[in-house]
Amino acid sequence: MRKGKLNFWSFFWPILAMTYFFVPLYGTLDFSLRMKKGVISLLAYQTVLADPQFIESFQYSVVMGIVSVTLSILLFVPTVYWIYLKVPKARPFVEIVSILPFIIPTIVFVFGLIRTFSRPPFLLTLTPFKTDILMAAGYIILSMPYMFRAIDVGMRSIDVKTLTEAGQSLGANWLQILFTIIIPNLRIAILSGALIAFATVLGEMILGDFLVRPAFGAYLVLVGRSKAYEPAALSIISYALTWIMLGAIQVFAKGSSSQSQLLGRG
Amino acid sequence: MSYLNLKNIYKTFSSNVAVDDFSLDIAQGEFISFLGPSGCGKTTTLRMVAGFEYPTAGSIALLGNEITNLPPNKRNIGMVFQSYALFPNMTVAENIGFGLKVSNTNTIEIKARVTEALSLIHMQDLGGRYPGQLSGGQQQRVALARALAIKPKVLLLDEPLSALDAKIRLELRLEIRRIQKQLNMTTIYVTHDQEEALTLSDRIVVMNQGRVEQVDTPSRIYNYPSTEFVASFVGHINIFPVSVIDGGEGIVDLSGNKIRSRKHMQEGAIPVHMAVRPEELTPGHREGANNLTGNIHSVQYLGSVVRIQIDVSGNFLSMDLFNQRDLSIPMVGDRFDVNFSSDSCWLL
Amino acid sequence: MQQSVKNKSAIRWWFWLIRNPWLGLLPFFLFIIAFLILPSLNLFVGAFKDQQGQFTFANVGIIQNPYIQKSFRVSFQVSITTSIIGTLFGFLVAYAITLGNAPRWMRNILMSFSGLAANFGGVPLAFAYIATLGRTGFVTYLLKQVCFTNSKGQVCPFDLYQNGFNLYSMVGLVLAYTYFLLPLMVLTIAPAIEGMKKDWREACENLGGSTAQYWLYVGIPILWPSILASFILLFSSAFGAFATAQALTGGSIYLVPIVIGQQIRGDVMNNPNEGYALALLMVIVMGVAIALYTWLQKRTAKWVAL
Repeated sequence: MRKGKLNFWSFFWPILAMTYFFVPLYGTLDFSLRMKKGVISLLAYQTVLADPQFIESFQYSVVMGIVSVTLSILLFVPTVYWIYLKVPKARPFVEIVSILPFIIPTIVFVFGLIRTFSRPPFLLTLTPFKTDILMAAGYIILSMPYMFRAIDVGMRSIDVKTLTEAGQSLGANWLQILFTIIIPNLRIAILSGALIAFATVLGEMILGDFLVRPAFGAYLVLVGRSKAYEPAALSIISYALTWIMLGAIQVFAKGSSSQSQLLGRG
Repeated sequence: MSYLNLKNIYKTFSSNVAVDDFSLDIAQGEFISFLGPSGCGKTTTLRMVAGFEYPTAGSIALLGNEITNLPPNKRNIGMVFQSYALFPNMTVAENIGFGLKVSNTNTIEIKARVTEALSLIHMQDLGGRYPGQLSGGQQQRVALARALAIKPKVLLLDEPLSALDAKIRLELRLEIRRIQKQLNMTTIYVTHDQEEALTLSDRIVVMNQGRVEQVDTPSRIYNYPSTEFVASFVGHINIFPVSVIDGGEGIVDLSGNKIRSRKHMQEGAIPVHMAVRPEELTPGHREGANNLTGNIHSVQYLGSVVRIQIDVSGNFLSMDLFNQRDLSIPMVGDRFDVNFSSDSCWLL
Repeated sequence: MQQSVKNKSAIRWWFWLIRNPWLGLLPFFLFIIAFLILPSLNLFVGAFKDQQGQFTFANVGIIQNPYIQKSFRVSFQVSITTSIIGTLFGFLVAYAITLGNAPRWMRNILMSFSGLAANFGGVPLAFAYIATLGRTGFVTYLLKQVCFTNSKGQVCPFDLYQNGFNLYSMVGLVLAYTYFLLPLMVLTIAPAIEGMKKDWREACENLGGSTAQYWLYVGIPILWPSILASFILLFSSAFGAFATAQALTGGSIYLVPIVIGQQIRGDVMNNPNEGYALALLMVIVMGVAIALYTWLQKRTAKWVAL
């Protein structure tokens, strides 16, 4: 009955949106293939991949990503488990704390971090290693909203208290319960949280740039200032990386209800 | 001329036949139930009356005017949804007054009609509440009042009680009937609950797989079901395959026992099943009745009734006895005689 | 012997934790205090100190500084414009792929692509726009080819840069921000639109309401809090964005985050405490936005919990 009338707009807006999404993507891809005048070539990609700075910064970010995601899991899984088990009253409060990185813009957060830890009594910016500690802490904080939410959703979907009590009644101790019952049931939630957090670390530019560490994001800024075609190639590479990461989450999360979406960050 | 007339309605969804040749005349003030299992086409038929679906073939007429293809908002037919479908952003009073508001009724009149509707459902004090603050039963009463406030020509109810607790369901059932009688409202009530249909209706339409199985008063539906489906869907029943000895006299053979029944319903058809309700069976042997002997297979307490299953040469016969204090209950494995009159069983 | 003593102390420690369950959250809170609360407090306390460390409200006076005022004005302009575009456009897209009649494959592509694009911010996004709409970009080049000859000679109506377009401007920022705000809107509003029950529409029609009346009295009032909440989410996302703007315009457009970035690098304001005050003002804007968002979410939750 109403079908005929709605049809046009129901096609118009999605097609316009798809155009909006795909044109810059295609434009970038096209641009990235035109480094050699007059021909289509992968020269831009070859140049990027052969750049020692690219390799160094990428390795650095992957290592930092793994370290901070691991620490993040070690910190948040027991904390959220404990909240569900013993202090459910703390959940709303911790939830608010966990979204603070959304309220405090990254630039302000990094501002505070630098002003606090580059001065006595902390002095964490003097050596690269100490700065890396600060970097990891920063990454954990910045990815906290995603990590907390992923684990929280996973924890909510299983009956933590009953499972724990069942484990206890069968004679398991707390560590056994955590590692053999709770964590295996949270596998997917933890994994999707980890992938989101990892993607955040890879894409983050402000920390690396301002703390002057060779992070992937900082490398992008550097290349963007001096080159023309390489940035387009790097853009396609980051796009592909994000795509792989989100795709992996969707594959792992298939059949589970844990939601896995990042929120816009510019 | 009937008040509401449905004539040879067909409805197909792609290749599935949802409603197959449905015809029905409804008189003014009548309470009709559509009864059947889910997917039998009863809701689809109701939605065609409301105008949410259009028949593939056939016509619907209200007071002699054809309304088959009229849009729903031009029909003046009230509907109560299974999910209540109250607008969550409006108060109870605003919900009830909505139909009047969209037809540009003046504010004073709306107020009066809303007050009237609220008192009809005994919720005078709750007009300012939001649906989210009401219980399920209250929400459904508001939905009923909302449908009635537009003074519809027909009221449609689509399984209105199925989302509610058992106790509220009973209460609201009586309320619906009371209001319907008070307003003399022509009503179609869709349900899969035979008890609801039996207690509420003037007439019941039993449907199965898109077809009408039987249209009749509750007592005739229960006592004289015309098909095996109706017999087994409405109430509990024993149905056994039999071989015919004398079709004309209604004499059949059930595993070697000669059974005399009242004459089968469909003229000319060859009966293959015998049916008898559990409550028609009596313990003991009685001359002149149909007598069967078997072993007690199980005894179930159902509260007011005790259901006893008797194994009569491989046929499991259910018998219901009222649970009186002095009732002596046989033990499982006991030899047991039962009888039933030839009037109480029939052939299908 | 040694073992049992160790065990005993472990058990005692354990019982102490059970009796004081809040202490189990100690590691989390220590971490948060050290790396989130302390740095933030440091800024906010600094905002109320003068250069000698005395308490003062003077720093908040930077709001009268024309340079700061301009940065807030530009930030608001960019964020509000792009959020409005994102909200309207995103709503229409989300409606078309949920309740509209858009085919299933369009919905699948748009939903999964939105998840991707909402996360495709920062520097790579800026690169993508430069490659597409920059002076030598792909689309710029294509549009430039559309020319025809009239009485005044050759005219190229779509030569963007001849016609005053500049990617490294506010317009460019709005275009780029929309790239991640539009999908963010689609992702946040689609569940709300899908939550609209078909029964509401039918009930409305049944009571005599037209399609327009349905939207006026039922559809929009129910969706309104969700739409507004999404708008605020988009706004705060745009307001806090730094990387895209920095990489696209090289800091030539004075957004609030850009000014803070310059302050971190080189104390452009000559007074670190004024820098802290600026950061505080920015957090206040974000805080108000998020508080509104939470409040609106609660409002819708009341309705959804039917």
